[in-house]
Amino acid sequence: MKFLWLALKDLILVARDKKAFLTLIMMPLLLIAILGSAFGNMMKEDEEVSIKKFTLGVVNLDQGQLSKVLTEEVFSKNLSKQIAVKYYQENELNKKIQDHELEIGIVIDKDFSQSLMSGKGTKVQLITVPDTVIKATIVQNVIEQFSRSVPIEAFVSQMSQPVQAGNPGGIDIESYGKKPLINETTIDAKTKPVSSFQYYAAAMGVMFLLMTVVQGVSTMILEKEQDVFNRLLLTNLTYANYLLGKMLGLMVICLTQAFIIIVGTNLLFGVDWGPSVSGIIVMTFAFVVNASGLGVLAGSFIKTEKSFSVAGMFGTQIMAALGGSMVPLYVFPDWAIYVTKFFPNGLALQTYLDLMSGAAFSKILPSIGASVGLGLFFFAIGLMRLSLERRGKYA
Amino acid sequence: MNMLTVQDLRKSFGNMEAVKGVNFSVEKGESYGLLGPNGAGKSTTINMITGLFPPTSGEIQIKDINVIKNPKQAQKWIGVVPQEIALYQSMSARENLKFWGRMYDLSGSELEKSVDQVLEIIGLTERAKDKVETFSGGMKRRVNIGAAILHKPELLIMDEPTVGIDPQSRNHILETVKRLNGEGMTIIYTSHYMEEVEYLCERIGIVDHGQLIASGTLSELRETIGDHSKIILSIDKDSSNLDGLAQSLTSLFSEKDIQIQDHQVMVFHKEPQLILTDFIQSVAKSGTKITSVDIVEPNLESVFLHLTGRKLRD
Repeated sequence: MKFLWLALKDLILVARDKKAFLTLIMMPLLLIAILGSAFGNMMKEDEEVSIKKFTLGVVNLDQGQLSKVLTEEVFSKNLSKQIAVKYYQENELNKKIQDHELEIGIVIDKDFSQSLMSGKGTKVQLITVPDTVIKATIVQNVIEQFSRSVPIEAFVSQMSQPVQAGNPGGIDIESYGKKPLINETTIDAKTKPVSSFQYYAAAMGVMFLLMTVVQGVSTMILEKEQDVFNRLLLTNLTYANYLLGKMLGLMVICLTQAFIIIVGTNLLFGVDWGPSVSGIIVMTFAFVVNASGLGVLAGSFIKTEKSFSVAGMFGTQIMAALGGSMVPLYVFPDWAIYVTKFFPNGLALQTYLDLMSGAAFSKILPSIGASVGLGLFFFAIGLMRLSLERRGKYA
Repeated sequence: MNMLTVQDLRKSFGNMEAVKGVNFSVEKGESYGLLGPNGAGKSTTINMITGLFPPTSGEIQIKDINVIKNPKQAQKWIGVVPQEIALYQSMSARENLKFWGRMYDLSGSELEKSVDQVLEIIGLTERAKDKVETFSGGMKRRVNIGAAILHKPELLIMDEPTVGIDPQSRNHILETVKRLNGEGMTIIYTSHYMEEVEYLCERIGIVDHGQLIASGTLSELRETIGDHSKIILSIDKDSSNLDGLAQSLTSLFSEKDIQIQDHQVMVFHKEPQLILTDFIQSVAKSGTKITSVDIVEPNLESVFLHLTGRKLRD
């Protein structure tokens, strides 16, 4: 129970520190608004001004003529200035997009030609990475226009033939324009592109939570310097209770800040954190466990606030930079993106982006498990450090 | 019955030996003073007794508990007033006391009652709701003491509890300690203020360079210097022939009983009134102008000076 009182005490101290309170709550919202607005405009302008030629990956499962016309005539020849077509096997295309080697691809259904001719509607799967809204729209429009024009031409062609019994060619003209021709999807459930504002809301959010942990650890180290830690050790408080209390206090502060950032950005700036509310809640909790665990680990090792202020500042900046809070993760090579998952903020940011892209709760379970696991691992090392330090002194 | 027994206690930090084989014991209900200059090893000794620092070697026993093997068990019996103010500044006196009480497993009405009692003892009932950061240094020190006695410890260890405070607060603290001791609490009081130790403690240990160089009651310690009083002659600042003066005094007194420093000439003697005239005449003959004469009864300062050749606050 003593860890609860310790955590409550830390919360009271933070609540009464006006400077800390403002830093924890107001600064993140302000910075997100500023960065989001700035990057939002910049990216919008980029997309409006220059759509450079891009590669369209094609998986053609159809043996008919219409798919060949679509790919070879329409995309390859007529749109050769905007689009370069490359053909892949389905799994190959998926991997290319997954690895961000290709931004956009289509999978043409095996019954594409037949369905189109018979007017039953057809499916073309459009696969994209996030932030390719314009390119996806171009490809989508081309396919839709093509799909609508084909049956009309076929109808006109058949109308010029001698009249036969029944519906000519079995084409249901009225049904066109109503049936969905495009089945848009993304690899790894990235069904929706993530805007720059969304990206930086998550990126700044995790960075500020990291900074909050650093601030909490500073307080922990300051306690050591002010003899309060020694006094605590002279009471009935155990090391486990001490660290647990510190971690719990940090977690509550971080969760409060996370709640304000997520709800604040959503209500004030309309940032969409994705459809999975449970995913956001659980991932936030997992990230906070991870970051707080790392925090108490640092607090158990470092003895003076002076040395921590340097290490903490550099450590946070490096983690923020490598974790994607400063430069978008998309520009990182694959191996770097993988490595940053070992940072609490890197893993959290990537998971938030997945959630924003529409990932289901089940999809982020490994990230949640890894995050909580790492946090508990850090806590255990911190506890061992405190215990061994004491035993070492007795040696 | 011994409340505390310390045997051959040693502590080294790297190559530096901070405590060099300290031995002493404190009886239940006794008040024991550890007197020594800054850096003498008092705080290190205290930290080892409380179980905060482990010794390099030696034994510490509180009641019948081995502190080194069972520090948590021993800590239940002790209250510690650290040298620094170990409180939360933005919390009120009451909030601080309640927090520390909870750390000692107090709860509910027992906690409330204890906090009220302690606030009364330290004289801060009226200011209980004020934040500690608004208190004077002396008031903070009183809360610092209060946090150590909430769980009614049998042994209260106080490490320089009056450093840097005003005389009024110091008196309050000294009276509080006297009262607690009068109620049966065993006290270990460390200080480099000899007058505090003289006032509070029945027995005193003098620590210097990590060693307990003398221990006993005040009168026993005075005996170690032969119960010598000190005659102090203040001399004119322009006096230049101090070497000649020292030489002429050695013909009257033993060299170890003479000290000349800071425009003062001092002689230690068991019966100062018998030598006062000769002493004054001898100084005057050397051409030195005397500005005042003072006789100081033997105290801990002179004991320390006698034992170490240095002043306590050097």
